[in-house]
Amino acid sequence: MTAAGWQDPPAAPVLAAWPVPAGVRLVWLHLLSRRVPAAAVALVGCGAVLRAALQWHWTFSSGPYAQRIPLIIEAGAAAAAVVTSHSPFGEAERATGRWLPWLRLGTALALTGLAIGALQLGVTGAGLNEGIMVLARNVIGMTGIGLLCSLVTGGLLAWILPLAYMAFAQYALLEAWRSPWTWPARPPADRGAWLCACVVFAVGLAAFTISGARNSLADNA
Amino acid sequence: MTALAARALAPASAGRLLRLEIRRNAMVWALPLLAVLFVYDPYRTASGYPPVWDVRASVILNHMLFDFGAFAGGLAAWAGSRDGRRQTRDLLAATARPAWARQAAALAGTLFWVLLGFLAAVAVLYIQTARQVTWGGPPLWPVAVGAVALITICAIGFTAGALVPGRFTAPLVAVGVVVLDLVGFREALGPSSAYALLSPSAGALPDDTGLFYPVAPDVAIAQVMFMGGITAAVLGILALSPALRWPGTLRWPGTLRWPGTWRLPAGATGPWLPAVAITVVAAGLAAAGTAAGLAGTARPVVSGWEFPAPVGTPKPVVSGWEIPALHNAASDRPLAYPPDCTGTSFQVCVHPAFSFFRDDVAAALDPVAAEVAGLPGAPLSAEEAAARGKGALLGGVITGIPPVYEFNGERAGSLIGAFQGTTASASSATWRALFQQAFLDALVAGPAHAGSPGPASPAQQAVVTALLTAVGSQVPQSHQAAGGGPPGEPSPAQIAAAANRFAALPSAARHAWLAAHLPALRAGQVTLAQLP
Repeated sequence: MTAAGWQDPPAAPVLAAWPVPAGVRLVWLHLLSRRVPAAAVALVGCGAVLRAALQWHWTFSSGPYAQRIPLIIEAGAAAAAVVTSHSPFGEAERATGRWLPWLRLGTALALTGLAIGALQLGVTGAGLNEGIMVLARNVIGMTGIGLLCSLVTGGLLAWILPLAYMAFAQYALLEAWRSPWTWPARPPADRGAWLCACVVFAVGLAAFTISGARNSLADNA
Repeated sequence: MTALAARALAPASAGRLLRLEIRRNAMVWALPLLAVLFVYDPYRTASGYPPVWDVRASVILNHMLFDFGAFAGGLAAWAGSRDGRRQTRDLLAATARPAWARQAAALAGTLFWVLLGFLAAVAVLYIQTARQVTWGGPPLWPVAVGAVALITICAIGFTAGALVPGRFTAPLVAVGVVVLDLVGFREALGPSSAYALLSPSAGALPDDTGLFYPVAPDVAIAQVMFMGGITAAVLGILALSPALRWPGTLRWPGTLRWPGTWRLPAGATGPWLPAVAITVVAAGLAAAGTAAGLAGTARPVVSGWEFPAPVGTPKPVVSGWEIPALHNAASDRPLAYPPDCTGTSFQVCVHPAFSFFRDDVAAALDPVAAEVAGLPGAPLSAEEAAARGKGALLGGVITGIPPVYEFNGERAGSLIGAFQGTTASASSATWRALFQQAFLDALVAGPAHAGSPGPASPAQQAVVTALLTAVGSQVPQSHQAAGGGPPGEPSPAQIAAAANRFAALPSAARHAWLAAHLPALRAGQVTLAQLP
């Protein structure tokens, strides 16, 4: 044996040397493991695309067609938020302590809020058809659908149902459906539509908080 | 095993690999979801269209592609990112199969399910249509364009997944595909430039598309060439990608790492691969560029004019596009068909594809035809015709000797109501009144009105309104009194009063006055005050 292949042990992460509270470090590591910073960038990107769509008139200014592209981008924002539900650690993570459900809850809530905020920032001054209320309702409802989907498909494929709902809602928009379950087609102040979107979000958030997304160690990303 | 034997076994093992990929592909689980979406969106939408092959087939590119494209793109990206996502590139680099062969099998597995689902949906749509249409055959170009578009979407998604195997790639590709699709649809509805024709989405088609003239495949050929070129270029990039043939990953953020080498793993591929891939990329870009250039030369086929209600600047109705370099003159020759006729004193003929509304047209036209029978220039029959190339109003014209009233089943715009070619709309009182008004406009306002689109004179409007009242039809909104008119012109109230006065005349007196004054009225030489 020689010392030729010997290397110094890797330096400890700089973060460890900082005098940060353990709770903050735990939250930060949780966010990193879920790729939340990248999700934030994706959400800002969605806001930028929405702004571009309104700025360069990719979408119609009024009528049922006016909601189509904003709805797609809202579905994209919801999808970007829910794919962060995937954990790269699998089952082992569930045995690490009692904070995991709260971390899940906080992450999902924060990303939903960030999605609404980023999209709202993107449309400020650009005159979004139906306004911020419909935008927020769509993001909330589709995020709830995605969180429910993550329980079955896992976090990485949790975007499928929000996108399917979006495609379905496109038809409902054109046909002016009145059911509150097709909330993207309803007016901003429609109480039933708000109720349905919020119920779906609440159920999805609760289920995700309690049990987390379905996990598979084979899919680490 | 000898090299010869191994070579003989290669197709069998490639088939086995493909079978494995087909069996394990995630797209198969999305098919039930797509089936539900298909029933709710394209199928129901097509059911609301008139049973005309080309009109019903338009949902393939305007609706079905949207639904299928989102999942095809997203799940192709998911399949493409598999090795990177699972971090098995190092492991797979040691296998006998080169990276491009493994990736090709995974892409083929995705394409298999995507195209199977797409073709099954097209089959359902066409079988349903075949049970209702009375003329013509299924158009194949929309199917070809749709299939090529899905292949392109899959290739782009797969390559994106292979190059950036992150968790956000699949949903962002899916969203990007549908955003692009809708932007293309927006452009197709009102093309700002001929390049918008490269989008596979099509605008609203006239209801008689493909009935009187064949649908020219010019634009479809350019679209297939464009998307095929993009597919080839993307697949070439996929084969060239160092990330696929070298145990490295491109991940972001955090660990941006690129191997930066073009060296092939020994024995995995031949030295020909980079050369072939570069050639494919170049050929693909050339094809796409040529198609874009061809699309830039496209010119619209104006089928007629329509008026915004009640009056306004007429706008052309574009029923298609021609690309001179791809255009076949045979596409301009009218199709032969046996007309479907009814009636004896006043015969009404429609295209056999519109047989289902022949009786509605006859019921609408018979009373007004009887009211004006014997007047100079009054038509003796009515016939459905294509407005294509005539530059006439979509409401219809009176042509020939003996005079024939030619109407058409195209998108009628605001002039004769929101006619959609369905029995439901044809049986409504509003549609009937507007159809009758178009007939009377063509007779009373004359060829000047039809040849150079413009509003009828006040006297002509009053006579048309009076004749409609006489046959018991509701007066169209554009002919009703609605406040003051332009300065110097009779107000709508004055026109309505004159119409009421004329309608109150005995039928024989009205007919006699029209027989004497119709040519002058048609020439615009009769004023409102001169009406009896």
